[in-house]
Parts: sequence; C-alpha cells; structure tokens
Amino acid sequence: MQARNIMITGASRGIGKALVEHFLAMGDTVIGVSRSESDITSDNYHHYLANVALDADAKRVFANVKKQLGALDVLINNAGIARMNAFALTPVDNVQEIMNTNFMGTFIFCQKAINLLRKSPNARIINLSTVAVPLNLAGEAAYAASKSAVETLTRIMAKELGSFGITCNAIGPSPIATQLISGVGEEKINKLIQQQAIKKMAKLEDVTNLVDFYLNPNSHMVTGQVIYLGGIS
Amino acid sequence: MDLPTVKRTVIEALKLTNQSRSDDTQIPLTDSTVLFGQNGNLDSMALVALLMDIEDALQEQSIEVSLSDEKAMSMSRSPFKDIPSMTQYIHDVIAAQV
Repeated sequence: MQARNIMITGASRGIGKALVEHFLAMGDTVIGVSRSESDITSDNYHHYLANVALDADAKRVFANVKKQLGALDVLINNAGIARMNAFALTPVDNVQEIMNTNFMGTFIFCQKAINLLRKSPNARIINLSTVAVPLNLAGEAAYAASKSAVETLTRIMAKELGSFGITCNAIGPSPIATQLISGVGEEKINKLIQQQAIKKMAKLEDVTNLVDFYLNPNSHMVTGQVIYLGGIS
Repeated sequence: MDLPTVKRTVIEALKLTNQSRSDDTQIPLTDSTVLFGQNGNLDSMALVALLMDIEDALQEQSIEVSLSDEKAMSMSRSPFKDIPSMTQYIHDVIAAQV
C-alpha cells in the first residue's frame, strides 16, 4: 500500500497518540496536532502545537502542511474534551469550551482540509464521537450534545463532499481506559458497559481497527456512517 | 489586485476545473459562457470547488478572502453567472478588505 499523509488532532495522548503510532508503524507520514508537545520522534512525524478551536491556528497548520507535503489523504478529528457534570450544575463556560473544541474544532479542520484532501485518490475524514450520544447518558449533556453535533456534521459533509471523492464517517468508542474518562467513577463505567451488547472495556486497537476499515480503499462506498463500539446502536 | 489579474486567476481556476471534466463537458473560457445559474456549466458543488480553487490561488498571493458568503449566494443576479461578473465580484471583495 502506498504511504499516506494522515493528519490526527488530539495527537499527544490517548486514542490520538495510539493512532499516530499505528500509522507510523505502517509507514505513513503523520501530521499530529495538539495543544501540548508530543514525545513521538520519527522522520515521518510532524507535530504542530495548535488549538483546534482557533481558526488562526488551523490556518497556520494547513498552510504549513500544504508547503511541507502538498496533499493530505486522511483527516482524523480526534481532539476532544469532556466535563462530566449534572446538567443543572454545568457552568456555561464549560459548555462553551466543550462546544468549541469538540464541534467547532472538527468543523474548522474539516473545512480547511477539503482542498488538500481533494487531491487524494482515497480521501477520508473520520470524526470521533461517543456512545454517550445514542445512550443519552445522564451527566454528559454538554459532551454528548457536542458529539451529536459532530455526527450530524459528518452526515451532511458526506453528502456535500461526496462529489469531491471524500468520504466522511464517524466512530463512537465505548469506554476505553484513556485520560478522557479518568475522572469518571468505576461504578459509572461498569454501569455503562452493562448497557453494551459486548460487556467489556474497549481497547485502543478496537478503534484503530475501525479506522483501518474506513481508510481501506475498498470502503469507498462507505460514507455518512457512525459506527459505535461494543454493540451500542 | 487589478481586474485583469483577477480575471487571469478565475481563468486559471477554470482550467483546473476543465482538467477534471470529460472532453464533452469542457467549459468554454469566454466572457459569454454561462458558469452558474440557468443553463450554467457548473452545478452548486462544482461552483464550490471552483471558488475553493480561486480562494486557494489568492491565498498563495497572501490574499485571504471568503467568496461564497450568504450575501453572494442570495443576490438576485448571481455574481457567479459568468467570467466577467465573477471577476468583478472577486475584485470588489478584495478591494473591500483593503
């Protein structure tokens, strides 16, 4: 398989970092974006410090990628934040912060990527959602609503970008032991897992497996889809 | 940016558009060619692609503009109807930013 240029946001830890390592191991060139430094060193890895929610940061990243690589095959919008709280007690500032990173960040990066992706024979956008959307999880109103917006964005982009040869899909991971859910109690996680068809924690490899499926050139007819791990629907 | 330069940018972008079209759907690069609207050569997504190519070309000359705002899309006479109207519109958008 020909090496691809793959951009991953939220690349410095958790799922994002696992994806970076996965694609570097496959010989791809990876562009990582995050607010913090990365400890990954590779000739095929380019890390950009940026806040995905800021249009100016996105412009800087894409202008540099255009100069550096000229084209992009894949954009994976993984950057996200979660603040668990009861709806009635959630500070408005938190809601704004969550929407800015999870939804606006995804929107801005997708928009900026189109021109570079159009040059790829197998252009892909993959957005990260969550099982909190179909489960309507109590205590995650702002987070689930932001990811619900990401899912709708994904479906509409799939329609609009189909003529450019870009597929747009989303992945909704069930609980995985990453920093994102480190603040969530064990009891709550167990209760959530009991709602799954497959009642166990997912692993990072379960996400990379799904990403590989979307990226496979044979998946060119798969677009506008959201796949949840664990048998949630 | 003067009108002849903007026009050259529009025509170069249309040449790119033609590269991805079959021989029988090539867009004639003349002032009278209808680009968008009734009997236009471009559907809405092809227009979006063309505008992105033009924005990209302008960005390479350090000109940051958004060409497809709500106002432009809802004008009774589309600024994207043909090469002269598109050229004038882009020229005006750039001038308004300076």
